[in-house]
Amino acid sequence: MSVAAARRAGGMAGAPLRALAELLVERDGPYARAFENLILALIAVSILSVGMETVGGLPGWMVRALRVEEIVVVAVFSLEYLLRFVAADRKLAFVFSFYGLVDLVAIAPFYLSGLDLRYLRLLRLLRVLRVLKLQRRILEATVAERTRELAERHAALVRAQAQLNAELDVARALQIAILPATFPARPGCDGAARMIPATTMGGDFYDFIELPGGRIGLVMADVSGKGVPAAFFMAVSRTNLRETASHHAAPGACLARTNELLCAQNPIDLFVTVFYCIFDPASGALQYANGGHNPPLLRRADGSVEALSGAGGLVLGAMPDSAYPEHTAQLRPGDRLVLYTDGVVEAFNPIDEPYGLERLIAEVRACDGPAAALVERICQSVTSFAGAAAQSDDITLTVLAWYAQ
Amino acid sequence: MPRARRGRRAQVNVRLETLGTSTLVVAAGRLDFAAAADFQAQLEALLAGAAAAPGAVIVDCAALDYVSSAGLRVFLLGARAAQRAGRSFAVCALTPAVADVFALSGFGKVIAVHADRAAALAHAAPRPA
Repeated sequence: MSVAAARRAGGMAGAPLRALAELLVERDGPYARAFENLILALIAVSILSVGMETVGGLPGWMVRALRVEEIVVVAVFSLEYLLRFVAADRKLAFVFSFYGLVDLVAIAPFYLSGLDLRYLRLLRLLRVLRVLKLQRRILEATVAERTRELAERHAALVRAQAQLNAELDVARALQIAILPATFPARPGCDGAARMIPATTMGGDFYDFIELPGGRIGLVMADVSGKGVPAAFFMAVSRTNLRETASHHAAPGACLARTNELLCAQNPIDLFVTVFYCIFDPASGALQYANGGHNPPLLRRADGSVEALSGAGGLVLGAMPDSAYPEHTAQLRPGDRLVLYTDGVVEAFNPIDEPYGLERLIAEVRACDGPAAALVERICQSVTSFAGAAAQSDDITLTVLAWYAQ
Repeated sequence: MPRARRGRRAQVNVRLETLGTSTLVVAAGRLDFAAAADFQAQLEALLAGAAAAPGAVIVDCAALDYVSSAGLRVFLLGARAAQRAGRSFAVCALTPAVADVFALSGFGKVIAVHADRAAALAHAAPRPA
């Protein structure tokens, strides 16, 4: 039968056959399972009877019974073949598929021997190949089972991942929410800050702490590591630092005390780099201490840029009894102080070059606008430098501008 | 020019050498957050495997291009593990970038840093009684 003829036959048989195919052989048909079991039973019967026929000298009634059995089996197999053909999206592919051929070979000997061509009786032995039909059933059942298991596991993973992501989003929102939104209002100075969070939860934070006498404590910090542990340690660090700052007038003592607190509640050996300074807007005086953090940049009114160097101490949380040397600097009217984390200088572009300190210094030197303008300028410079490269670390900046009162 | 990613995705490779009673850990690559957990696991496995050796643990950083804060933490953990095992811990042959990180973080004050392998080994050698 040519494919075109087959298609015509399928077309003529039309709706009833297709409806029957939907009931019996489509994967989710209501009687698909029952039909499947019927086919299985007939395969078993048929293989058994082929075996019996090879044994000679069967009584006449049994030969007749086997003949009836063969007609029934072939009728059902033929119906099955027809229905699978009707149900197949790509008829030609079905006919020439391995199991399409097996199905055909399973019934063909009957029709050919029906022509009573004696030598074709040999073909009847081909019915043994019906065992291959069995193999198809087993294979399909196994594949269906595996597919179902995989789908279930996948769905469970997707659900778990979605829940985890939702929780991380909440944690992230909380983490950002504890950063101060505005700089304390003081005559003669202004400040601005910004954090651009990394794709994975990072541990950067900044803080403005209002201190007695109108002074302001400025914090820039970066917790080692990423994810939920870093976020927790960030929250603990920030709380301890804030609490300690209100009791210690000196930045070095404040860091030393915070270090003790962090070492005492640090089961997984995280640590945090902290730059802490106390600024007096009335005089422009700056006291600072550094716990392993990038030294901030001081831009003088004339455009020169220097780092707030001076010996620092160990990162906080790593080892008790650490000392944090204290230093002072005097801001002059028009000076700007730029605090940043390594997410700025270690922002990478798509060809893996770091943004670097030189680029940062160039931006700082080039801008004498208000604090917010310099923050914006640096953020734009860093993000345009990084381009499409994934941001692996938080980018955090604070700028303080002092104009004198 | 090919856009070589200069091993940014690559892990840190760790190789172990035993010199006398000292264990030399030769680290190479970029020790960033992505590589830190792997480096930590390798270092811990090496230290556990070399538990019988009584001498110093020296990390040779000559081929270590970059260390992030997450990477520094692994050195801290390594130093702690060595200390618990009663062994001294040191790093040597830091590249300029890594030396900066050690200096800035203050780790240079709590972990012994030597100019090269020979200096580290000389320092680790048991002193005559």
